[in-house]
Amino acid sequence: MTSLRIFAIGGLTSYRALFYWLTPYVYVPSLLVAPIFQILLFVYIGRSAGLESDEFYVIGNALQYAAIPCVFAMGFAISGERYQQTLGPILVSPARRLPLFLGRAVPVILNGAFVAAFSLVVGGLLLGIDVPASALGPLALVVLVSAFSCTGLGLINGALGLRVRETAVLANIIFGLLLIFTGANVPLDELPGWMRAISDLVPLTHGIEAARLLADGVPLASVDHLIAQEALVGVAYGFAGYGLLRFLEWQSRIHATLEMA
Amino acid sequence: MRAGARLLAVGWLFHFKMLSRSAFDGLLGVMWPLFFATVAFFMFRAGGGEETLLYASLGAAVMGIWSVTSTSAGAAMQRERWQGTLEVLVASPAPFALVLLPVTIAMTTIGLYCLVATLIWGRLLFGIDLHVVHPLLFALSIPVAIVSIGTFGFLMAVAFVRYRFAWALGNVLEYPVWLICGFLVPLTLLPDWVRPISWLLAPTWGIRAIRQSALGGSPLPDIALCVALAGLYTLVGVLVLETALRAARARAALSLT
Amino acid sequence: MAVIEARDLHRTYKTTTGTIRRRSLQVEAVRGITFDVEKGELFGLLGPNGAGKTTTIKMLITLLIPTSGSARVLGYDVVKDAREVRKRIGYVFGGERGVYERLSGLDNLRYFAELYGVPGREIRPRIEELLELVGLKGREKERVEGYSRGMKQRLHVARGLLHDPPVVFLDEPTIGLDPVGARELRATIASLTEGGKTVLLTTHYMFEADALCDRIAVIAEGDIVAHGTPGDLKAGVEEGAVVEVEIFGIPEGAVDRVRELDGVRAVSVEEREQAQVLIVQTPADVELTHAILGRLNGANVGRISRREPTLEDAYVALVGNSE
Repeated sequence: MTSLRIFAIGGLTSYRALFYWLTPYVYVPSLLVAPIFQILLFVYIGRSAGLESDEFYVIGNALQYAAIPCVFAMGFAISGERYQQTLGPILVSPARRLPLFLGRAVPVILNGAFVAAFSLVVGGLLLGIDVPASALGPLALVVLVSAFSCTGLGLINGALGLRVRETAVLANIIFGLLLIFTGANVPLDELPGWMRAISDLVPLTHGIEAARLLADGVPLASVDHLIAQEALVGVAYGFAGYGLLRFLEWQSRIHATLEMA
Repeated sequence: MRAGARLLAVGWLFHFKMLSRSAFDGLLGVMWPLFFATVAFFMFRAGGGEETLLYASLGAAVMGIWSVTSTSAGAAMQRERWQGTLEVLVASPAPFALVLLPVTIAMTTIGLYCLVATLIWGRLLFGIDLHVVHPLLFALSIPVAIVSIGTFGFLMAVAFVRYRFAWALGNVLEYPVWLICGFLVPLTLLPDWVRPISWLLAPTWGIRAIRQSALGGSPLPDIALCVALAGLYTLVGVLVLETALRAARARAALSLT
Repeated sequence: MAVIEARDLHRTYKTTTGTIRRRSLQVEAVRGITFDVEKGELFGLLGPNGAGKTTTIKMLITLLIPTSGSARVLGYDVVKDAREVRKRIGYVFGGERGVYERLSGLDNLRYFAELYGVPGREIRPRIEELLELVGLKGREKERVEGYSRGMKQRLHVARGLLHDPPVVFLDEPTIGLDPVGARELRATIASLTEGGKTVLLTTHYMFEADALCDRIAVIAEGDIVAHGTPGDLKAGVEEGAVVEVEIFGIPEGAVDRVRELDGVRAVSVEEREQAQVLIVQTPADVELTHAILGRLNGANVGRISRREPTLEDAYVALVGNSE
């Protein structure tokens, strides 16, 4: 099979096989309703605390919530295979690794971008946020890039999930950390120096900043460095995750840990 | 009557012990509200609003109590089903309401760990001192809040018994209750039409009772309302339960196979 | 009045198939079961997996409502007087689930004692007694998650007897147990009736039913196909013969062809190491060996023998086991 086919087919199959549990009964409440409430929650907390504008929280939380579909799903896409014990047969196959795992990432990225975009639109409408029409396209780009970088983090989570059993717990912790460090709700200026340094290294921080600027009417050209940084973060995590996966795979051949349920 | 009270007490202690031992689940359960508390502390510290950090700390402390309830109570029956113990519980002569009620109250009691952790966290990292004006009433408010939220959990458990994805439903209720019950957002900031809904929810009065006793106010009406609501939830829950159980027996939904 | 009365019990399940277009199917698990169990009897409900034993027992212990028919335990209707029934019965099922693993055996028993309404003062002594009976004395303070399968089973039995119920229902209690553990458990079960209790046991092990039960009802595909003491069932089978043919590779359709032979009562196949054995039950006075061989299409045949039927064969014939 050529790399491209592995990429495409692998992605689709794994998406279907592992997402059978994402029925509308779970998808709608968890990925479409919950983020709207998160937005509302922080908008009101913001008003209660007398901090920033509604728009600040709509954008921050809509993008931050993408962590749920991106990190969880990617984690599950990898460690879920181990649970179903299909990982062994896949890794034994001669298929090349990179397209294989990238194939799995694409549906996750697209889904994450959709969830973030949906929350942005609905949250924006509910709270009467005005966004210049010219910003819509660039915003879509930012959403996509942010989902991409988040999924990179998800790849690491997934790789870790091969050794640690509780990948969902890990994903929840990542979500919580992103809530604090990305400036989604806490303006970056309010964070102490060492935390700011971490913020620069995690997904979503640059994307959220870019999105806020775009919504204020700043032209795309002025934020392209932020978008580039976000993309770079994604690539870095993606590579790290991929490396970790190969390392763990190699390790497991020595220690026979992959099939551990 | 005494046997009923005994059953409630024994059941509560048993399930609380059991839940406390699920170490790893518990760890996330305690950490989860801490993330939100941290964000809240930063926000209240940075903002120009009137509410103090102590206000936020108390609110955040109770958020954990709701978290554990919303994420586990709805799926209480599901959990028993997985363990294979649901059948055993139903087949016992004890009225099932007296069996299930302590389970959800025990789940909510786990929130005590969150409460303590959040208060300590706020103290250590943000210097939020806990000055309690009415310590006895404060000490009373906490269990009253827990019991009333726990009975709300009972109502959820009963209402969700037919849903395979009860946990997802429970999860989705986490944020809305945080929003409208006055944890970090005074009810006055919310639209008028939301307030009657807030008033019907136990956490609203629980958090009020706790705050009033800490910050110096009169928590007694709030405590009374907690108790009244607990009674209401139990009544409704019991009525729904009898119907739900009968339906489950007719549909053969008590076991996994 | 019989302690357990089942009258024409029926139970139908609705299941759904397919993911996109869900179709619902009606499965009739129990099709009209009637039997009585007298006081002090050890009654066995014997049948293969899926025969309807568990469904039947669940209807009797009030966990399932019959689609039609009725049942009474100690005079109380299982649907209308469920609570009264539950006060008087013990329910033990096989397998590892059904106890709270994170807590100790003692914790579990104390909790269930409360649920079953054992008076406060009696809880401690009763638990002591039961731990002694099932052989868990000394291990009760350990967490159940550390118990072996056999120990968990024994804990189940102890739990089922906490309130000293006059009627005890056991659903495949020895399933998955090692032979020694199973034997000990059977001894415990046998001792229950000595104390005056009435016991209903379900099992798919013929020898277990034979060894333990005063009377057996054989159930297959939701119906009772035979009823009586183990002696009665054996007698029904004694006039007959069994021909065993060792074959290396049974040809396609051979089993059905042999079954079609005039006089053949039942055919089953057993795997024995390198070969398969075709077991054919015939009337005693008929010589069918030749005919049987004829239907085997020249397959590679080893030893052929003829023997007396056993209760196992009776069971097989009754439940129509074919493969």
